[in-house]
Amino acid sequence: MKINKKSYDGVARIFDFMRGGDMRRWGPDQRALFKNLKGRVLYIGIGTGQEIVNFPPGLDITAVDLSYAMLTRSHSRVQNYNGRIHRCQMDAQATAFPDNTFDTILTVCVLCSVQQPAICLKELKRVLKPDGELVMFEHVLSKNPVYALILKFMSHITEYLEGTYLDRDTVNNAEMAGFKIHSHKNVYLDIVKALRANH
Amino acid sequence: MEKAYKMNLKIADFFIGTFAGSLVALVVYLVLSTQPNMLIAMVLGGLIGMVLVMPLTILLMPFVGAFEVMIPLGIIGMGVGMTTGMLSAIPAISGYAVIAWGDLAGFTVAMLIYFSNKHLINQ
Repeated sequence: MKINKKSYDGVARIFDFMRGGDMRRWGPDQRALFKNLKGRVLYIGIGTGQEIVNFPPGLDITAVDLSYAMLTRSHSRVQNYNGRIHRCQMDAQATAFPDNTFDTILTVCVLCSVQQPAICLKELKRVLKPDGELVMFEHVLSKNPVYALILKFMSHITEYLEGTYLDRDTVNNAEMAGFKIHSHKNVYLDIVKALRANH
Repeated sequence: MEKAYKMNLKIADFFIGTFAGSLVALVVYLVLSTQPNMLIAMVLGGLIGMVLVMPLTILLMPFVGAFEVMIPLGIIGMGVGMTTGMLSAIPAISGYAVIAWGDLAGFTVAMLIYFSNKHLINQ
Protein backbone atom coordinates (compact mmCIF):
# COMPACT_ATOMS: atom_id res chain seq x y z
CA MET A 1 0.00 0.00 0.00
CA LYS A 2 1.38 3.38 -0.97
CA ILE A 3 1.17 5.81 1.92
CA ASN A 4 -0.03 9.27 1.05
CA LYS A 5 -1.78 12.25 2.58
CA LYS A 6 -5.17 10.58 2.19
CA SER A 7 -4.15 7.48 4.17
CA TYR A 8 -2.79 9.62 7.03
CA ASP A 9 -6.05 11.55 7.06
CA GLY A 10 -7.89 8.25 7.46
CA VAL A 11 -5.65 7.12 10.33
CA ALA A 12 -6.04 10.44 12.20
CA ARG A 13 -9.34 9.42 13.85
CA ILE A 14 -7.81 6.40 15.61
CA PHE A 15 -4.21 7.67 15.89
CA ASP A 16 -4.35 8.72 19.55
CA PHE A 17 -5.94 5.41 20.52
CA MET A 18 -3.44 3.32 18.55
CA ARG A 19 -0.44 5.16 20.01
CA GLY A 20 -1.79 5.28 23.59
CA GLY A 21 0.31 2.37 24.85
CA ASP A 22 3.50 3.72 23.27
CA MET A 23 2.97 7.13 24.84
CA ARG A 24 2.51 5.55 28.28
CA ARG A 25 5.79 3.66 27.88
CA TRP A 26 7.95 6.34 26.25
CA GLY A 27 7.07 9.46 28.26
CA PRO A 28 10.17 9.60 30.52
CA ASP A 29 12.57 8.73 27.66
CA GLN A 30 11.02 11.37 25.42
CA ARG A 31 11.24 14.02 28.13
CA ALA A 32 14.95 13.21 28.64
CA LEU A 33 15.61 13.46 24.88
CA PHE A 34 13.52 16.59 24.32
CA LYS A 35 15.63 18.50 26.87
CA ASN A 36 18.07 18.88 23.98
CA LEU A 37 15.64 20.95 21.90
CA LYS A 38 16.84 24.54 21.64
CA GLY A 39 16.67 27.64 19.49
CA ARG A 40 14.39 27.52 16.50
CA VAL A 41 12.96 24.00 16.34
CA LEU A 42 11.50 22.17 13.35
CA TYR A 43 9.18 19.37 14.48
CA ILE A 44 8.65 16.92 11.64
CA GLY A 45 5.39 14.96 11.67
CA ILE A 46 3.51 16.51 14.57
CA GLY A 47 0.60 14.12 13.98
CA THR A 48 -2.04 14.71 16.63
CA GLY A 49 0.60 16.34 18.86
CA GLN A 50 0.84 13.55 21.43
CA GLU A 51 4.49 14.33 22.20
CA ILE A 52 3.86 18.01 22.97
CA VAL A 53 3.16 17.16 26.60
CA ASN A 54 6.78 15.96 26.89
CA PHE A 55 8.33 19.16 25.48
CA PRO A 56 10.17 21.55 27.80
CA PRO A 57 8.34 24.89 28.03
CA GLY A 58 9.21 28.04 26.13
CA LEU A 59 10.34 26.61 22.79
CA ASP A 60 9.82 28.26 19.41
CA ILE A 61 8.59 25.36 17.27
CA THR A 62 7.58 25.08 13.64
CA ALA A 63 5.62 21.84 13.30
CA VAL A 64 4.85 20.23 9.97
CA ASP A 65 2.69 17.32 8.93
CA LEU A 66 1.52 15.90 5.63
CA SER A 67 -2.03 15.39 6.84
CA TYR A 68 -4.51 18.19 7.43
CA ALA A 69 -6.70 15.90 9.56
CA MET A 70 -3.73 15.21 11.87
CA LEU A 71 -2.93 18.93 12.15
CA THR A 72 -6.55 19.68 13.01
CA ARG A 73 -6.52 17.11 15.79
CA SER A 74 -3.34 18.58 17.27
CA HIS A 75 -5.08 21.94 17.86
CA SER A 76 -5.92 21.63 21.58
CA ARG A 77 -2.45 20.28 22.46
CA VAL A 78 -0.79 23.11 20.56
CA GLN A 79 -3.00 25.65 22.35
CA ASN A 80 -2.14 24.20 25.76
CA TYR A 81 1.62 24.25 25.18
CA ASN A 82 3.54 26.83 27.21
CA GLY A 83 5.57 28.13 24.28
CA ARG A 84 5.07 28.87 20.60
CA ILE A 85 4.06 26.24 18.04
CA HIS A 86 3.41 27.29 14.47
CA ARG A 87 1.88 24.53 12.34
CA CYS A 88 2.03 24.03 8.57
CA GLN A 89 0.91 21.31 6.19
CA MET A 90 4.01 20.19 4.35
CA ASP A 91 5.81 17.14 2.99
CA ALA A 92 8.96 16.42 5.04
CA GLN A 93 10.69 15.23 1.86
CA ALA A 94 10.37 18.64 0.21
CA THR A 95 9.87 21.45 2.70
CA ALA A 96 9.44 25.10 1.77
CA PHE A 97 12.08 26.39 4.22
CA PRO A 98 15.31 28.06 3.10
CA ASP A 99 18.72 26.44 3.75
CA ASN A 100 20.18 26.57 7.29
CA THR A 101 16.97 27.73 8.99
CA PHE A 102 16.65 25.64 12.15
CA ASP A 103 18.83 25.11 15.25
CA THR A 104 17.19 21.78 16.09
CA ILE A 105 15.10 19.35 14.06
CA LEU A 106 12.96 16.76 15.83
CA THR A 107 11.49 13.59 14.36
CA VAL A 108 9.33 11.23 16.42
CA CYS A 109 8.38 8.00 14.63
CA VAL A 110 8.35 9.76 11.29
CA LEU A 111 11.19 8.12 9.37
CA CYS A 112 9.27 4.84 9.62
CA SER A 113 6.39 6.39 7.68
CA VAL A 114 7.86 8.66 4.99
CA GLN A 115 8.11 7.01 1.59
CA GLN A 116 11.76 7.95 1.00
CA PRO A 117 13.60 8.26 4.34
CA ALA A 118 16.96 8.99 2.66
CA ILE A 119 15.47 11.90 0.69
CA CYS A 120 13.71 13.16 3.82
CA LEU A 121 16.95 13.10 5.84
CA LYS A 122 18.83 14.96 3.09
CA GLU A 123 16.09 17.60 3.14
CA LEU A 124 16.40 17.89 6.93
CA LYS A 125 20.16 18.31 6.56
CA ARG A 126 19.56 21.15 4.12
CA VAL A 127 17.31 23.13 6.47
CA LEU A 128 19.40 22.44 9.58
CA LYS A 129 21.99 25.08 10.51
CA PRO A 130 25.64 23.89 10.26
CA ASP A 131 25.97 23.88 14.07
CA GLY A 132 22.42 22.53 14.52
CA GLU A 133 21.30 19.17 15.86
CA LEU A 134 18.95 16.47 14.58
CA VAL A 135 17.05 14.82 17.46
CA MET A 136 15.30 11.56 16.59
CA PHE A 137 13.01 9.28 18.58
CA GLU A 138 12.52 6.45 16.11
CA HIS A 139 11.97 2.73 15.84
CA VAL A 140 14.25 0.70 13.59
CA LEU A 141 14.83 -2.88 12.46
CA SER A 142 16.48 -4.91 15.23
CA LYS A 143 19.91 -6.47 14.71
CA ASN A 144 18.67 -9.56 16.58
CA PRO A 145 17.56 -12.03 13.84
CA VAL A 146 14.55 -13.30 15.86
CA TYR A 147 13.23 -9.80 16.60
CA ALA A 148 14.01 -8.74 13.01
CA LEU A 149 12.01 -11.66 11.59
CA ILE A 150 8.96 -10.66 13.64
CA LEU A 151 9.34 -6.98 12.71
CA LYS A 152 9.63 -7.80 8.99
CA PHE A 153 6.53 -9.98 9.19
CA MET A 154 4.51 -7.43 11.18
CA SER A 155 5.68 -4.62 8.91
CA HIS A 156 3.31 -5.89 6.19
CA ILE A 157 0.38 -5.52 8.59
CA THR A 158 1.32 -2.13 10.06
CA GLU A 159 2.03 -0.83 6.56
CA TYR A 160 -1.51 -1.77 5.60
CA LEU A 161 -3.15 -0.56 8.83
CA GLU A 162 -1.40 2.76 9.47
CA GLY A 163 1.34 3.22 6.90
CA THR A 164 4.24 2.41 9.21
CA TYR A 165 7.24 0.34 8.18
CA LEU A 166 8.96 -1.61 10.96
CA ASP A 167 12.02 -2.61 8.95
CA ARG A 168 13.74 0.74 8.42
CA ASP A 169 17.47 1.17 9.08
CA THR A 170 17.22 4.77 10.26
CA VAL A 171 20.67 4.91 11.88
CA ASN A 172 22.33 3.91 8.61
CA ASN A 173 20.02 6.17 6.57
CA ALA A 174 20.98 9.16 8.74
CA GLU A 175 24.67 8.42 8.30
CA MET A 176 24.20 7.98 4.54
CA ALA A 177 22.50 11.38 4.44
CA GLY A 178 25.65 12.90 5.97
CA PHE A 179 24.68 13.11 9.65
CA LYS A 180 27.08 12.04 12.39
CA ILE A 181 25.26 10.31 15.23
CA HIS A 182 26.89 11.38 18.49
CA SER A 183 24.33 10.06 20.98
CA HIS A 184 22.63 6.70 20.61
CA LYS A 185 20.37 5.28 23.34
CA ASN A 186 18.16 2.20 23.19
CA VAL A 187 14.70 2.82 24.65
CA TYR A 188 13.17 -0.63 24.03
CA LEU A 189 15.44 -3.51 23.04
CA ASP A 190 17.46 -2.25 20.05
CA ILE A 191 14.22 -1.31 18.27
CA VAL A 192 13.10 2.01 19.77
CA LYS A 193 15.96 4.50 19.88
CA ALA A 194 16.70 8.03 21.07
CA LEU A 195 19.29 9.48 18.70
CA ARG A 196 21.10 12.78 18.36
CA ALA A 197 23.08 13.73 15.27
CA ASN A 198 24.81 16.72 13.75
CA HIS A 199 26.31 17.69 10.39
CA MET B 1 3.17 7.79 40.25
CA GLU B 2 4.83 7.37 36.85
CA LYS B 3 7.28 4.84 38.30
CA ALA B 4 4.39 2.78 39.67
CA TYR B 5 2.65 2.97 36.30
CA LYS B 6 5.77 1.72 34.51
CA MET B 7 6.03 -1.12 37.02
CA ASN B 8 2.40 -2.06 36.31
CA LEU B 9 3.18 -2.20 32.59
CA LYS B 10 6.13 -4.50 33.28
CA ILE B 11 3.90 -6.80 35.34
CA ALA B 12 1.38 -6.68 32.49
CA ASP B 13 4.12 -7.86 30.09
CA PHE B 14 4.61 -11.03 32.16
CA PHE B 15 0.86 -11.57 32.49
CA ILE B 16 0.33 -11.13 28.73
CA GLY B 17 3.19 -13.52 27.94
CA THR B 18 1.81 -16.19 30.27
CA PHE B 19 -1.76 -15.72 29.06
CA ALA B 20 -0.75 -15.82 25.38
CA GLY B 21 1.29 -18.97 26.00
CA SER B 22 -1.63 -20.77 27.64
CA LEU B 23 -4.11 -19.57 25.00
CA VAL B 24 -1.92 -20.80 22.14
CA ALA B 25 -1.33 -24.11 23.96
CA LEU B 26 -5.06 -24.60 24.61
CA VAL B 27 -6.12 -23.92 21.01
CA VAL B 28 -3.28 -25.98 19.52
CA TYR B 29 -4.13 -28.89 21.84
CA LEU B 30 -7.84 -28.73 21.00
CA VAL B 31 -7.12 -28.69 17.25
CA LEU B 32 -4.20 -31.11 17.09
CA SER B 33 -4.72 -33.63 19.92
CA THR B 34 -5.88 -36.22 17.37
CA GLN B 35 -2.97 -35.57 15.00
CA PRO B 36 -0.74 -38.69 15.04
CA ASN B 37 2.22 -37.23 13.11
CA MET B 38 4.48 -35.16 15.37
CA LEU B 39 6.18 -33.30 12.50
CA ILE B 40 2.88 -32.23 10.91
CA ALA B 41 1.58 -31.29 14.38
CA MET B 42 4.65 -29.11 14.93
CA VAL B 43 4.24 -27.24 11.63
CA LEU B 44 0.48 -26.83 12.07
CA GLY B 45 0.97 -25.78 15.72
CA GLY B 46 3.39 -23.04 14.65
CA LEU B 47 0.95 -21.79 12.02
CA ILE B 48 -2.02 -21.84 14.42
CA GLY B 49 0.04 -20.01 17.04
CA MET B 50 1.08 -17.30 14.59
CA VAL B 51 -2.47 -16.78 13.34
CA LEU B 52 -3.79 -16.71 16.91
CA VAL B 53 -1.38 -14.10 18.29
CA MET B 54 -1.95 -11.67 15.40
CA PRO B 55 -5.40 -10.39 16.48
CA LEU B 56 -4.26 -10.54 20.11
CA THR B 57 -1.29 -8.31 19.24
CA ILE B 58 -3.45 -5.78 17.40
CA LEU B 59 -5.95 -5.82 20.29
CA LEU B 60 -3.33 -5.20 23.00
CA MET B 61 -1.06 -2.74 21.14
CA PRO B 62 -3.07 0.40 21.96
CA PHE B 63 -3.05 -0.41 25.67
CA VAL B 64 0.45 -1.64 26.46
CA GLY B 65 2.60 -0.50 23.53
CA ALA B 66 3.17 -1.84 20.04
CA PHE B 67 6.65 -3.35 20.27
CA GLU B 68 6.27 -4.54 23.85
CA VAL B 69 3.42 -6.77 22.64
CA MET B 70 4.53 -7.57 19.11
CA ILE B 71 7.94 -9.06 19.92
CA PRO B 72 7.01 -11.46 22.76
CA LEU B 73 3.75 -12.54 21.15
CA GLY B 74 5.51 -13.17 17.84
CA ILE B 75 7.96 -15.51 19.57
CA ILE B 76 5.25 -17.13 21.69
CA GLY B 77 2.94 -17.66 18.71
CA MET B 78 5.48 -19.61 16.71
CA GLY B 79 7.53 -21.19 19.52
CA VAL B 80 4.74 -22.26 21.83
CA GLY B 81 2.59 -23.24 18.85
CA MET B 82 5.28 -25.58 17.48
CA THR B 83 6.20 -27.16 20.81
CA THR B 84 2.62 -27.64 22.00
CA GLY B 85 1.79 -29.06 18.56
CA MET B 86 4.44 -31.72 19.12
CA LEU B 87 3.26 -32.35 22.68
CA SER B 88 -0.36 -32.63 21.54
CA ALA B 89 0.61 -35.45 19.16
CA ILE B 90 1.76 -37.60 22.09
CA PRO B 91 -1.29 -39.78 22.90
CA ALA B 92 -0.60 -40.20 26.63
CA ILE B 93 -0.25 -36.48 27.40
CA SER B 94 -3.09 -34.58 29.09
CA GLY B 95 -4.43 -31.22 27.98
CA TYR B 96 -3.52 -29.75 31.38
CA ALA B 97 0.13 -30.65 30.88
CA VAL B 98 0.17 -29.02 27.44
CA ILE B 99 -1.43 -25.83 28.80
CA ALA B 100 1.00 -25.80 31.74
CA TRP B 101 3.86 -25.99 29.22
CA GLY B 102 2.30 -23.07 27.30
CA ASP B 103 2.07 -21.05 30.53
CA LEU B 104 5.67 -21.75 31.44
CA ALA B 105 7.00 -21.07 27.93
CA GLY B 106 5.04 -17.80 27.68
CA PHE B 107 6.35 -16.61 31.03
CA THR B 108 9.91 -17.63 30.08
CA VAL B 109 9.74 -15.68 26.81
CA ALA B 110 8.50 -12.59 28.70
CA MET B 111 11.35 -12.99 31.19
CA LEU B 112 14.01 -13.43 28.48
CA ILE B 113 12.78 -10.30 26.70
CA TYR B 114 12.76 -8.40 29.99
CA PHE B 115 16.44 -9.23 30.61
CA SER B 116 17.36 -8.71 26.95
CA ASN B 117 15.77 -5.26 27.13
CA LYS B 118 17.54 -4.47 30.40
CA HIS B 119 20.87 -5.40 28.82
CA LEU B 120 20.27 -3.43 25.61
CA ILE B 121 19.02 -0.22 27.21
CA ASN B 122 22.08 -0.13 29.46
CA GLN B 123 24.50 -0.43 26.54
